[in-house]
Amino acid sequence: MKKATLQHNLSSVLLCGPAILLYTAFFVFPTLLGFAYSLTDWSGWTRDPTFIGLDNFRELIGDERFFATLKFTLSQTAMIIVCYTSLALILAVLLDRMRVMKGLVRGLFFYPFILSILVSALLFQYLANFRSGAINIVLQTLGLDHWAQDWMGDPALVPYFILTLVVWQGLGFYTTIFLAGLQTIPRELYEAAGIDGAGSVATFYHIQIPALVPQIKICSVIALITGINLFPQILVTTQGGPGYRTFTAGYHIYWLGTENDRQGYASAIALVVFLVLVLVAAVQATLFQRHETDL
Amino acid sequence: MSRSKRRLPFFEIFMLLLGLLYVSPCFLALINSFKTLPEIVRSPLSPPTRLVWENYQYIFTGVKLAGPMLNSLLMCFAVIASLITIASMASYALVRHLRHGALWRVFFLAGLTVPFQILMLPLMREFNYLGIGYTYFALWLHYVSYGLPLCLFIYSGFMRSIPIDLEEAARIDGCTPLGTFWRVIFPLLAPCTVTIIVFWGLFIWNDFPQAYVLMGTNKGELAFVQLWRFLSDKYVKNWNYIFAGIVVLSLPITMLYLAMQRRFVKGLTAGAIK
Repeated sequence: MKKATLQHNLSSVLLCGPAILLYTAFFVFPTLLGFAYSLTDWSGWTRDPTFIGLDNFRELIGDERFFATLKFTLSQTAMIIVCYTSLALILAVLLDRMRVMKGLVRGLFFYPFILSILVSALLFQYLANFRSGAINIVLQTLGLDHWAQDWMGDPALVPYFILTLVVWQGLGFYTTIFLAGLQTIPRELYEAAGIDGAGSVATFYHIQIPALVPQIKICSVIALITGINLFPQILVTTQGGPGYRTFTAGYHIYWLGTENDRQGYASAIALVVFLVLVLVAAVQATLFQRHETDL
Repeated sequence: MSRSKRRLPFFEIFMLLLGLLYVSPCFLALINSFKTLPEIVRSPLSPPTRLVWENYQYIFTGVKLAGPMLNSLLMCFAVIASLITIASMASYALVRHLRHGALWRVFFLAGLTVPFQILMLPLMREFNYLGIGYTYFALWLHYVSYGLPLCLFIYSGFMRSIPIDLEEAARIDGCTPLGTFWRVIFPLLAPCTVTIIVFWGLFIWNDFPQAYVLMGTNKGELAFVQLWRFLSDKYVKNWNYIFAGIVVLSLPITMLYLAMQRRFVKGLTAGAIK
């Protein structure tokens, strides 16, 4: 009996050890280290960090750029959540109605999701380019010169440019989640609705949306995490510009850490943003819970 | 029947056109990769007047993309093989063996919420301290540890649906715990393994920010890092070369996607649909 327990423990260690070791050493440890650096003035490269207590957080409270960044990130996130959820829901319902070519069309909408973020960002950067971009050239050919805009350089338009880029790439993913949800609705429900004389709009509101509440929940949580961590798209396309208009929290952290040699301060911001994410996710969860009891 | 009483016959065609319009930026990249730069600027939407293969030539001679592509492929294999082995074994232990398994699961799942930016620079410092900064080995270490939470989540979710009787039968037949795992459990995990291959294969092939940050500006030649380095060098964007590069790097995954679309969709959404 004792030998069996020993062998049991030994095999547990053998099975689990590599995962725990790697994950602790190269994921958990640097994460905690990052949080610890938020209490230092570490430059990020050579000089050893000095402990400065909560100075970084004190600086952060008075930092207007940080709040502008946070505001932009949150508004961008809100738009991303709304667009992903609503567009994917509608697209999924439309795709679900198809009798032929369903797989093909679904595949087309999903395709951008398998591409690298670098590819989608470059494609949109090309489309939206002021002088040589496809959109403006087409508008000029059509004689609509005054419609041509500096899509990426105009502070009023650039948030929508980023939004379009992000939504274009991920829409297929969210649609797939809703499509999977639609498969779980029993056929009898549709038949009953049909007998009651419900059209497709009534079916959408009274059968499909209520049945898809769990999927709406999942989608908005994933979209929330995507939105708050928005970073590579900014790095490739606008690099925070024009001015500091498109500085997202993620890009701000990267910019402070790598280009301004202020890793300590960047870590403090990363910590605060992470807490904001947790907070928003908690609020979201509470809202959904209340909504669920309403239904 | 009632649901499709009066369906318009052109609904499907409309959806198909909508889908084609949706991916039209990709077609645009394809046709423009065969044009010269002046022609791209002059007429971006029309098909090329003659096929300019020089763009593709330049991608391999000027940007030197072949080596980095091979490196990326090798990195994919190395990371996927390690992830499958390490994560499947660990999740078996988490679900079936380990005391406080639930606690360990929370410990791993917490990793799903941490974005890369938080650990990016401390990780680089750690790698430099260990003397492996800016190496492929360090990048491999990062990819595997970064991938573990999701892989464990996928594996252990599935593992719980496997009846325990199978293992007991194997044990009675004299199989060791490790032997039971490899001979009985691991083959049953095949659907999860496929999911992980698709997800992380695509992630590592497509990744550029993480590899770019961890490998520095002049070392580390991986497919998309190399392309990014080339285009961020130049003040003026040579779209003809960029499009050729985009096509070359996206072609392999596009072929695989066309061949097994269902696997891709399932693999990429497995974490979210359960």
